[in-house]
Amino acid sequence: MSAGHNVQAVHFGNTRLPEEQRETLRKAKKLEWITIAFLAFTVALVYLVLGNSQAMKAAWIEDMLSFLPPIAFLVAARVIRKPPTVQHPYGYHRAIGIAHLVAAVALLVMGTYLLVDSALGLVTAEHPTIGGVELFGRTIWLGWLMIGVMLLIAAPPVFIGHAKMKLAEKLHDKVLYADADMNKADWMTAVAAAVGVAGIGIGWWWADSVAALVISASIANDGVKNLRGAVSDLMDARARTYDNAGPHPLLGRIDDFLGNTGWVGEAKSRIRDEGHVFHVESFVVPREGSTPTAEDLEQLREDCVDLDWKIQDLVIVLVPELPEEFLPGVETGGED
Amino acid sequence: MPADPDGTLQEITGGTIQVGVTAAAGEEGNWVQLQPGTEPAGIEPDLVRGFAATREATVEWIGGTEHELVDDLEHGELDLVIGGFADDTPWTKHAGMTRPYMETKDERGKTVKHVMLTPLGENAFLLALDKYLLAQELQS
Repeated sequence: MSAGHNVQAVHFGNTRLPEEQRETLRKAKKLEWITIAFLAFTVALVYLVLGNSQAMKAAWIEDMLSFLPPIAFLVAARVIRKPPTVQHPYGYHRAIGIAHLVAAVALLVMGTYLLVDSALGLVTAEHPTIGGVELFGRTIWLGWLMIGVMLLIAAPPVFIGHAKMKLAEKLHDKVLYADADMNKADWMTAVAAAVGVAGIGIGWWWADSVAALVISASIANDGVKNLRGAVSDLMDARARTYDNAGPHPLLGRIDDFLGNTGWVGEAKSRIRDEGHVFHVESFVVPREGSTPTAEDLEQLREDCVDLDWKIQDLVIVLVPELPEEFLPGVETGGED
Repeated sequence: MPADPDGTLQEITGGTIQVGVTAAAGEEGNWVQLQPGTEPAGIEPDLVRGFAATREATVEWIGGTEHELVDDLEHGELDLVIGGFADDTPWTKHAGMTRPYMETKDERGKTVKHVMLTPLGENAFLLALDKYLLAQELQS
C-alpha cells in the first residue's frame, strides 16, 4: 500500500490533503483491505455450507456484492490522486462518482433478481431440502452448520462499519459512507439467513423464502439509496453532507466569508461536489464605490481556499448584481 | 430438528416405506436389478431394506420410469426413489438427494457419486437416511 509514511504528501488532484485527512485516508484504505480479506473468508465459508437454502444463497450473493464498494473505493482513491491534465482540466475526482454508480446499479440489479427469485420460490411452494453432512466422523444436519456460520460472521462487519463511518465523515467520502452503512446492516442479513434455516429445521418450509425475501429487499434498498446518491452527485446537485442528511455547511461558510470581506457587498456561490473536493464558483458584487483590483480578487480567492481543504478549485466572478440565471433562488432567498 | 413439513419419517416408522425402483445395473455395479416375480435385488435395494429395518418399516416396491417415479415422489406418493442416480442428476429441481453413499469411476475415469432421491424438503427423513447410509462402510 502506497499511502505509507507520514512524510509523504498525498494529493487529491491539485488538493494537498491536510495531516488529519491523510491519516484518515490511510486508515480507510487499511479498513477496506481488512473488509476485503474478511469478505473473502466469509464468501468461502458460506459457500461450503450453502446447501439448498434460498436465504443462504441470497446472503452469499450479498457478501459477493459487498466486495464492490471496497474495491470501488480503493480504485477511486488511486485514480483521483492524478493531477488535472490538458485532457482532464477538472482532474479525476469524478472517478469516485462513477465507482459509486456502478456499485449502486449492481446492488439494485442483483437485489431485484433475488427478490423475484425468492418470491417465485414462495409462490411455487418450494420445499428447501437440507440433509446431513459428515463432520469429524459424525453425520449431523447441515442446517446446524449454516446457522453456526451465519452467526459467526454476523458481528465483525458491524464493528468495521462503525469504524468506516467515522472516517467517511472526515474524508467526505460517499462511497465509504455507503460501504459503512451496508456493513452496519450486514448482521441483519446473517441473522435473517440463520432464522430462515432454523425455520426449515422446525418444518416451516416457507421461512427460508421469507428470509430470502427480506435479504433481497435489503440489497435492492441499498441499491436504490446508493443509486439516488450517486446520480444526484453526478448531476451536480447541491453539495450535501457525506450522509446526505442536509446541505453541506461549507456552502454557507464560503458565502459568509466572502460577504464579510471589506470591499465585498454581496456574495453567493454554487458548488459542485466532486467526490471529496468541491469546485466552487463564487459571484461577488463589490460594495458601492469600491473598485477591487486583480490582486484583491486573487487575495480573496486564496483566503477563501484556505477556509477548508475541500475547497481548492475556486473561481471568483465579479458581477454588478447576483445573476439569477446562474444562482437559481437568489431572488427568493436561496432556499427551495 | 430438523422436522418434516409432511411428516414422512413419522409415517414410515413402524409403517410402510414406498420406494420407487427403476432398473440400473451395469459394469460399474448392480445398483438395482429387477426380475418379474422376485423382490428387487442389488446394492440399493439392500440398503433400502437395511434402512427400513432400522425404522421397523415394511418396504413397498413400485416400478416405473425415472420420469414417472420422480413425478410421484414430487407429489408425495413415494418416499424414496432408487435407480443408480448420481449427485449430478438433472432431477434436483423435483427431488432432494442423499449424501453420496458410494463413489465409483465410470469408463471415462470420471468419479460418480451415488445418491438416492428423496421428497423435497422432508429433512428429518433425509437426515435419518443420510445417517444410515454414511454409517455403512461401502467399498466400490
